[in-house]
Amino acid sequence: MDPEQPEVPADLVTGLSEKCRDPYLRCAFHGAAQTALGVSGSALLAHSPQGCEYLVNNAFSSQECDYMETITLCTKLCVDEIVHGGEDLLVRTIRQAKELPISALFVLSACGPEIVGDDIVAVCEDLQPEVRFTLIPIECAGFRGSQYDGIDIALDTILRKLVKNDAEKISNSVCLIAPHANANPTWIADLAWVKQVLSQMGIEVVATLTHRTRLSEIANATSAETTLLLSHDAGRRAAEYLQNTYHLESVGDGIPLPIGLTNTQRWLTALGERFDAQSAAEKMIADGEKMVMATCRRKWPMARFFYRTPAAIVADATIGIPLVRFVTEEMEMTPALVALYSSQPSARVLLEGELRDLGLAPKVVYGTDVYETRKSLGEVKPRVIFGSTIERHASEGMGVPYIVEVVRMMRQFRFINREYFGYTGILNLFECVQNEWTLRWRSKEKRYEAKW
Amino acid sequence: MMKNDSIVFHGTLQQMLEKVETGEMVPKLQASHAPMCKFFTAYYVISGIRHVVPLVHGPTGCPLYMSDFVRTRECCEIRGVPLEPTASTVLDESHVIYGGEGKLLEAVKEAYAKYHPDLIVILSCCCSGIIGEDVESIAREAEKLVGCRVLALRSEGFGGDFRSGYEDAFKLIMELMEPPRQKRKGTINILGARWGPTTTEFDMDLDEIERLLDEVGIEVNAVIAGGCTVEELKRAREVELNASWCYDWGQKLGDLMEERFGIPYSKTGQPYGLRATEEWLLGIAQPLRLEEKARTVIERETQQVAPDLAYLKQALEGKTAIIEISEFPGPIRALSLARMAEEFGAHPVVINVHPYTIKERMPSIKFLLETGVNPEIILTRGLFRLGSFRSSKETEDELEVIVREYEDPIFFGNAGRFPPCPVVNLTLMNPAFQPQYGFRGITNIAALVRQALENKDLPRSRLLRGMLYGPRTT
Repeated sequence: MDPEQPEVPADLVTGLSEKCRDPYLRCAFHGAAQTALGVSGSALLAHSPQGCEYLVNNAFSSQECDYMETITLCTKLCVDEIVHGGEDLLVRTIRQAKELPISALFVLSACGPEIVGDDIVAVCEDLQPEVRFTLIPIECAGFRGSQYDGIDIALDTILRKLVKNDAEKISNSVCLIAPHANANPTWIADLAWVKQVLSQMGIEVVATLTHRTRLSEIANATSAETTLLLSHDAGRRAAEYLQNTYHLESVGDGIPLPIGLTNTQRWLTALGERFDAQSAAEKMIADGEKMVMATCRRKWPMARFFYRTPAAIVADATIGIPLVRFVTEEMEMTPALVALYSSQPSARVLLEGELRDLGLAPKVVYGTDVYETRKSLGEVKPRVIFGSTIERHASEGMGVPYIVEVVRMMRQFRFINREYFGYTGILNLFECVQNEWTLRWRSKEKRYEAKW
Repeated sequence: MMKNDSIVFHGTLQQMLEKVETGEMVPKLQASHAPMCKFFTAYYVISGIRHVVPLVHGPTGCPLYMSDFVRTRECCEIRGVPLEPTASTVLDESHVIYGGEGKLLEAVKEAYAKYHPDLIVILSCCCSGIIGEDVESIAREAEKLVGCRVLALRSEGFGGDFRSGYEDAFKLIMELMEPPRQKRKGTINILGARWGPTTTEFDMDLDEIERLLDEVGIEVNAVIAGGCTVEELKRAREVELNASWCYDWGQKLGDLMEERFGIPYSKTGQPYGLRATEEWLLGIAQPLRLEEKARTVIERETQQVAPDLAYLKQALEGKTAIIEISEFPGPIRALSLARMAEEFGAHPVVINVHPYTIKERMPSIKFLLETGVNPEIILTRGLFRLGSFRSSKETEDELEVIVREYEDPIFFGNAGRFPPCPVVNLTLMNPAFQPQYGFRGITNIAALVRQALENKDLPRSRLLRGMLYGPRTT
């Protein structure tokens, strides 16, 4: 460091500063878009300047929307609309969409129109009689919080606007919440695994909030007996709303999501107990563990060479918290740093409980940003990082031999979605480690040239 | 004139420009089509300076998209650039109500302490712009407290179209240019680059023009702003001449530097094909009094690509080159290509240049017209259709019909189109055929044309076609 440059104040290193951040999380507008795009047969209209449409595009990919089916629109607000208001332009754009073959149009407002006071709720109310589809305004300006806040805002609006009050309860049923608040880049496979095990236990999924969810499913969401939260980062507000207003019991609370043998066992057992499907759960656990062990016996994962290697976990709470036990138990590494993107109180309680239970005392950072992650990595000096492409680059020069990209990966592309949940999830994670291990050993250059 | 219900305009580029200028054609994209906003493009340019901290005064959505897309993916993954920060003041509701200037000032100090940058650029976005944050004053104040320059750019997303972000950022960069201590003979700046702290989005094109400049003995002080340093920017006024890697993006900065600092700007189009490459190189060499050397280089390089030039002439002579802009990587490149097609004896017909594109690139379009680029233009209904799939599907169907109406057509665009004629895949996403600029570009384009013509009867992918346009219904 240049001796003439100022020392970094202590609070910057310890993560207390909030003034200048290089964040991992996108804004509320993005989270709301991700939620709205999980509703099938709908379109999304961003009441925003044109740049916000790129956050919508990103959400579009995350929900694996098909551009043949889902249209996204944008009012592309300019100075005129910021000065004089953009409601007229919003009206015109909704009218342009009149003929679209959709059942709902989500209207999302971004920072600009909310600050200048555009009333998207009133516009939607006024125009509702003119259009055949349902207009659903969501006030989700980016400044309202992180993408997780946006998911909560959107779920709240959707539930209040669309659910039926008088839905008849269906026994042994569940409403799945926030599967998309999950940093596994192919989280849709996690959701598919959950649905599969629920089906095997004879539990009906009444609604998924949200992924390829029909409006009729949302309307009937209150017919579920229970809610099952699939994220440690978002969705809790929706679960509480459904519990307090419609008496949907929340299951699986206080247990990390099913990543690794123990977490999966606990999670399946809790479901089995609640739905009187203990034997089905036990069978799944026995079969799953047998399959994982047999596969490992045949493939010989290199994970076995990492015994007590210091590891860092940098991820969202949904993947990061369950990974702590997986890394400690299945991989036999030693978590030395756990840096989570978010800092929900419930996630803190869960993580701290896990650390106590495992007898671990890693450095823990909640609501980390890229700077704080880099500083923490420099301080902890892990030999393995479970994280993203960002940590691959942020840790350059620190001599970290293995960076296993499990979230926000850029060096791998998955055509086939791969779950981290459940038993195949364990193998998928082992495979990520194995590939990184193989690359680490690959010779960078040849020592001599072949003769032919 | 072609009779076809789906055609909404058929004329020349000049005629189309007149329609846009008189308002007869509305230069507005449909609601389903959104280009980048001013903030994004300003960020592109600013992040093309080494060791800069773009400090975004706003919530996290705007900076994060750009840091993911530009810094991590493009810079770190593709261009070997270290991870650089994208800082944000993370404005929330309380800041929107009570203001965030105090936080911004603290953030600048913090950014300096954390990242030790050579430059901090405060970028305002919609939130801070609307609530009237005085970013310029904060920048001036903050500069007294830290050890580097602090600049501010009003880059609110609503404040202009994508073009204004580029232009305002280039203009801001001029503030870093110090009075020259000397005139560096035979030295130029290349203007108009962006997208990350290294060479422009098409590295190999820039490599090719730098190679040619080097052959002539011309030194490049800075590629602005494609990986240049603050030090290079400070010395940018010491050059003899400015040139652009792309006339469209370099033009504004070139004109401003000429006006304010008296540095001449070489106005030439993109070096596609032999004639444009000669013009580009001589446009720089002549004012530097290096014409003779440049002609020697041109002669030698031309000899090396003589078989390719002969092939292009023989392959394209008498053909109709259908060039589709909406599916091509950049309208100015497409128009440069139209010129190249004409050079090799083809008749260029440009399909689907949106009136919006004409408006946004008006100075460059006018420049191209001045240089004699005035191809036949066809616009179809699908171009204006709501919905990206509908628009793309409809324009594909229309293209297939239009191509049948021309004799001996050849399509220049990308392989996402399936017209019943040879397809020259000019996507810039395939590094196997890069660069497209200069002499090496001639070789690559000749190879692409050869692939298109020699393999025109090979079956196209039902799979990719179905992916793009859905299963065939007829």
